[in-house]
Order: sequence, then C-alpha cells, then structure tokens
Amino acid sequence: MSELTASEIAAVSPRSAVLRLPSVRPALLLLQTLAVPLAILLIWELSGRLGWIARGILPSPSAVAQGWWQWAFGHDAMGLNAYSGTWLANVAFSTKRVSQGYGLAILVGVPLGVLIGWSPVVARLVDPTVQALRPVPITAWLPFSIAIFGISAFGAIFLIALGAFYPIVVNSAHGARDVNRNLVRAASMMGASPIQMLLRVVLPSALPSICTGLRIGLGIAWTAVIVAEMIAVKSGLGYVLWDAYYIGRMDVVIADMVSIGLVGFLSDQLILLLAARLLRWKQQR
Amino acid sequence: MSAIALRQVDKIYEGGGRLVTALDHIDLDVAQGTFAAILGPSGCGKSTLLNLVAGFEAPSAGAVTVFGQTVRKPGPQRAVVFQEAALFPWLSVWDNLVFPATIAGTPKAEYEDLARELIITVGLAGFEKHWPDQLSGGMRQRVGLARALLMRPQVLLMDEPFGALDAQTRLQMQELLLSVWERYRKTIVFITHDIDEAVLLADTVHVMSARPGRMQARIDIDLPRPRSIDLLMQDRFNALRREIFSLIRGAH
Ligand SMILES: Nc1ncnc2c1ncn2[C@@H]1O[C@H](COP(=O)(O)OP(=O)(O)OP(=O)(O)O)[C@@H](O)[C@H]1O
Ligand SMILES: [Mg+2]
Repeated sequence: MSELTASEIAAVSPRSAVLRLPSVRPALLLLQTLAVPLAILLIWELSGRLGWIARGILPSPSAVAQGWWQWAFGHDAMGLNAYSGTWLANVAFSTKRVSQGYGLAILVGVPLGVLIGWSPVVARLVDPTVQALRPVPITAWLPFSIAIFGISAFGAIFLIALGAFYPIVVNSAHGARDVNRNLVRAASMMGASPIQMLLRVVLPSALPSICTGLRIGLGIAWTAVIVAEMIAVKSGLGYVLWDAYYIGRMDVVIADMVSIGLVGFLSDQLILLLAARLLRWKQQR
Repeated sequence: MSAIALRQVDKIYEGGGRLVTALDHIDLDVAQGTFAAILGPSGCGKSTLLNLVAGFEAPSAGAVTVFGQTVRKPGPQRAVVFQEAALFPWLSVWDNLVFPATIAGTPKAEYEDLARELIITVGLAGFEKHWPDQLSGGMRQRVGLARALLMRPQVLLMDEPFGALDAQTRLQMQELLLSVWERYRKTIVFITHDIDEAVLLADTVHVMSARPGRMQARIDIDLPRPRSIDLLMQDRFNALRREIFSLIRGAH
C-alpha cells in the first residue's frame, strides 16, 4: 500500500510543476485574442471614411451597424425601408427551416446509419444508393426541388434535410461498424436480444461518431437554408441576403452575413453542449 | 455428469485461402463445482476452446455440451470474463455491474442485494459512480468478475483475465479469485499461459500443445483448500509446477 501512495505522489508532482509556469496576465491574453479582429475593423472603417472604397460597394462597419440597428429595431418607415424591423422574423424563419430539415435528417439518418453499420443486409440494401447519391451537391438539387415543391418552405426543408442527412448517416454507420467485438460478445453472453444489442450496445458505442456527423450536418444545414432561401423561398436570411444585394443595400447584406455566422455559431455551440452531455464518459480521466 | 464436456472437437479456420486447425480432436471434462485451468503456449487454441464453450463460435466437428445441453449460442448460464474486461465505457461501475440483470429484465429487488454484496466482495465499494476509464486495469477486471457472478451462471469462463496486469496486481486478483471461488463454488474454466497461476488456482490443469491445438495432459492439483498465495512458497507447489514444466518442455 505504501508503494501505491508513493506512486500517487509521483503522479501528482509533474502536474504541480506545470502550474508553476509563469502566469500570463488575463489582459494580455484578451488583447492577443482581439488584436487582429480590431485591426481589421479599424482599417475597414478608416478606408471608408477616407474614401478609399466607394460606400455603395463596401459600407463601413459603423454604417453596417446602423443599417443592422434599423433592420432589427426600426419601425415600418412607410415602405421606404423594406427591411425595417424584420431581422428577428427572418432569423426565426431560417432557424425554423433549419430545425425542421435538420430534425428530419437526424430522425432518418441516425437510425438508418446505425442499421447500415450494424447489419450487413441493410448495408447491402441501402448503402450503394446512399453512396451513389452523395456526390451530387445539394446546390445541384435546387431545380429538382423547385420543380417538386415549387417556391415554398418545403423546398428549403427538403434541401436542408438532404444536405445534413449524408454526414449524419455516414458517420452513424461508421460508428456502428466500429463497435468493439468484445462488447457485443459481452452483451450476447448476457442474453441480449437484437433490439437490446442495437439500443444498448451499438447505439451508445456509435455516439461519438454520431455526434461528429451531427456537427458536420448542422454546418451543411445552414449552407443549405441560405442557398434555398436565395432562390426557392421568399423569406429568411438567405432571401434578404440576395434581395438586399439586388437593391444595393450592402449594409444589410453584410449585417445579414454576420447574422448567419452568429446563428450558425450559436447552434454549433448548442450541439457541442449536447455532445458534451452525451459523451460525459469520454471526457473523464 | 460433467458440467462441461467436449467430445472430439475440431475447429478449423479458413484464413487467407488456407486452413488452420486451431483445435484437433479435443476431449475435455470439467466436473461440477471444480476449477479447471487450460494451460498452453500462445496460439495453441485456448481462446478458441473457450469461445466454443461460450457459444461465440461453433465447432467444425464434435460436440460441446454444458450440463448435458449442446451449446448453440451464447447465454447467461455461461458467463465470460474477458481479458480486457469488456466493460461498457458509457456506463458507471454500478451500471456495468447490473447490466446483465437489466438485460434479463430482472426486478431491481431481486438483484440489488447481490450486487451490493459483490461490490464489497471485489473491493470496489465507493467506486460505484466511476466510469471504467477512471479505473486501473485490475479494478476493471474486478468489475468484470463481479458482473459475471451477478448473472448467477452455471459456469464461469475466464480467458487470461489477469494476463494484462502487472505481477503484484495479478497476485491480488488471484487471491481474490480464490476467495470468490470458496464463497460461490462455481464451475470455472480458466485460460492461462502461466504455470504458477494454473497450479495456484485450479483443481485440474489441462495442458495443451500447439499447432495443431491438442490436449496433451491432465494433472490433478491436490493442494488443500482454502488456498492463498502463501502456497507459492511450498514444496508441494513447486513439485507440481516442475512436473508441468517438464511436461511442456518434453512436448517440444
Ligand atoms: N477467426 C480466426 N480466423 C482464422 N484463424 C484464427 C481465428 N481465430 C484464431 N485463429 C487461429 O487459431 C489458432 C489458435 O488461436 P487462439 O486465439 O485460440 O490461440 P490462444 O491459445 O488463445 O493464443 P493466445 O495465448 O495468444 O491468446 C491460431 O493459430 C490463430 O491464428
Ligand atoms: Mg487467447
């Protein structure tokens, strides 16, 4: 027992050595993080004010902020500004479509992927079709989608679901295929039924891989919603993006781009949070 | 009647276009409530033999029966302790332990007392909420052993369960297994390539030879029980291990 304690002490000491590294002041860390973005904003603002770039092509950050404010909180200016006060509604439209399409992709992609990875029969039945369709980019599906669904939200939801489906199904299949053989044997000697094996062994072992697929899928879902709304729907961030460009409102275009980045980032954080909860057992040690 | 009986069992694998005879005309009998060690060099077919008894694989010829029933597939009457413990990494120690009971749909009241008793028996009280990744190899193997016992199996099959452990931990685990056997008196098949381990633990040692895997000899270990690792120092123990050693050397 005394040796165990000695080895514990030995295991702890290198860690305390790391702690004794010279500490970097938090202010300096913050400065290092923000230096480049701030510099870009500053140069951008200056080049606008000094007239290096025509304002109609690239409005300065302050003009974008103003336009954004109007877009977000402005009152209906008697039809003079079509976007006034519509930001939240458009964010909501796009987010709703992403949720619906992405949810559909998960609902179909995860179970199908796990089955493809687990059952050679399902793999032979379905995998060739999935693999054959996968190289067709979702943008190439646009005319098809409009022909089937017309100019409607369904077209967008279809494209989002399709785009997110591939990484989800492929990663789920990969995770299910890689399940440790001894874990399967352990469950089978306990008398696990095929359903129990799938739900209590294969699915949890595939979870890390499934989460990877969910994350990639979400990124594609946001790409898909913007593309779809630019062409096949008449609302949402993608629609405003293209429409604002047409009427020369570059401030709204840029504010829209930043908005897409922002909601994309937030939804990605949400998935990361979910994954961290689901994969708690992996972060230990 | 033997608890476990193998009659003229062959196992032939096809790998890379050629046939590998892993087991060749194996006969084996293990009496109920006894501890059988299977001893042999690497690649002689020890795991193959255990997998046949467990039902993970089917024999190419011959019969494998457990309490008179032909083995057709894995089942909870034949609990397996794996070399790498094979715990579910997403479940806590406690959830791993009671996993077989939840698979069988046993009501909580029927397994909870035994589970608590087993946690204490294997020395893991206080670790119920840990993840397998937070445990040492020896502790994981304790969970694997407790999990197998929770199944209340007819036989316990162990494939080099202590093979990956360091010498000191291995001794602790051997002592634990001796006390567990005293307490539960299961029929055990224990695979090892360590002569000392076989002599220390078993009532009978079955020596296998390699390529093709055959049963070479059967030695009864008449050391008194209950045993402890103090046996390792005794003359009778050394005489037995010398006997087995010369048997193995003679085979080459
Ligand atoms: N699935 C398989 N396919 C082809 N050959 C196999 C397969 N499993 C085992 N073998 C062969 O059968 C023989 C016996 O293997 P086995 O794993 O039973 O040996 P072992 O005695 O358990 O060895 P070790 O002590 O290294 O675990 C070996 O030659 C091995 O290569
Ligand atoms: Mg082996």
